[in-house]
Amino acid sequence: MKLQWSSVQAAVFGTVLLMACGNEKPLPIFGQRELVGTDTVYHTIAPYQFVDQDSAVITNATFKDQIYVADFFFTSCRTICPIMKTQMLRVYEATAEMPDVKILSHTIDPEYDTVALLHDFAERLGVTSNRWHFVTGVKDSIYKIAQTSYFATAMEDKSEPDGFIHSGAFLLIDKKQRIRGKYDGTKEAEVNKLIADIKKLRREDAQ
Amino acid sequence: MRNSIVGFIFLAIACVPGQRDVKFQQYYAEGEVLYQQHCANCHQADGSGLGKLYPPLAKSDFLEKGPEAVLCLIKYGVEGEMIVNGITYNKAMPGIPSLTELEIAEIVTYILNSWGNTSEMVEVNQASLILDTCSETP
Repeated sequence: MKLQWSSVQAAVFGTVLLMACGNEKPLPIFGQRELVGTDTVYHTIAPYQFVDQDSAVITNATFKDQIYVADFFFTSCRTICPIMKTQMLRVYEATAEMPDVKILSHTIDPEYDTVALLHDFAERLGVTSNRWHFVTGVKDSIYKIAQTSYFATAMEDKSEPDGFIHSGAFLLIDKKQRIRGKYDGTKEAEVNKLIADIKKLRREDAQ
Repeated sequence: MRNSIVGFIFLAIACVPGQRDVKFQQYYAEGEVLYQQHCANCHQADGSGLGKLYPPLAKSDFLEKGPEAVLCLIKYGVEGEMIVNGITYNKAMPGIPSLTELEIAEIVTYILNSWGNTSEMVEVNQASLILDTCSETP
């Protein structure tokens, strides 16, 4: 009898605990943070200005109040980029009903990947520019934002098979332009996690 | 008794391809590894291609051209427009000169017998003869 009581107590205690901790653990916030007065200032994406496949100017303001997933690629790449695009297409399809989620793919070969070429590429992939921006711009600006804002590797390297070295990372950016997740865009399981994290981030925003 | 005879005949028939195919299986297995390594990035592991960027190899009317076209394409690559299943593709496919004739034969055997494709296997001596004839762009 005593035993039974204690298991009931445990159940009640467990339920109370579960209710108290009902809020799921928030996604981490990447990068350095500093304390300004009593406010914590987090690492955010630096100001940028690029042009997308429709010649539209894309800046931080484009993603105001938007969650987005960023990556770095180039259209003539035969190594990891096609896999990344296959996986990003999964993200695109999984977020079709989420008007506040966008995708931003930067070319790291802007000399070759012109607006016209990116337009053709997006069209052939079958995606629309209101949800998935393919941007080009000043090469150094793209490399700089990759390295310093998104913590992604992107640079020219003539010894590489396609002439560039870059990571296959997908970065999840929240509505405050903070990095909330980094995933290997060549691995299906990681991209599954990204899709789950996007939903988690939207729940966080909804609170 | 009758059932067991039928069963025996059935078994015998089922085993024939197994016997014939030791070499085929070898080519196919090697071809699959090489396919994953050299082709699957763009054409996908299931041969479905990617949008209008990279054409499919599964249910692809390009393969109706026979193994010659596929062999030459893998070795020497292709540029410009190509129509597959009525869709115009236009991304260059670089050739892979480092592949041996045997490796190309294995890849082609794999492609021509996967994802619903069925064909004869392409043996290395056959591949060698074909590859000698395809110096021009296919």
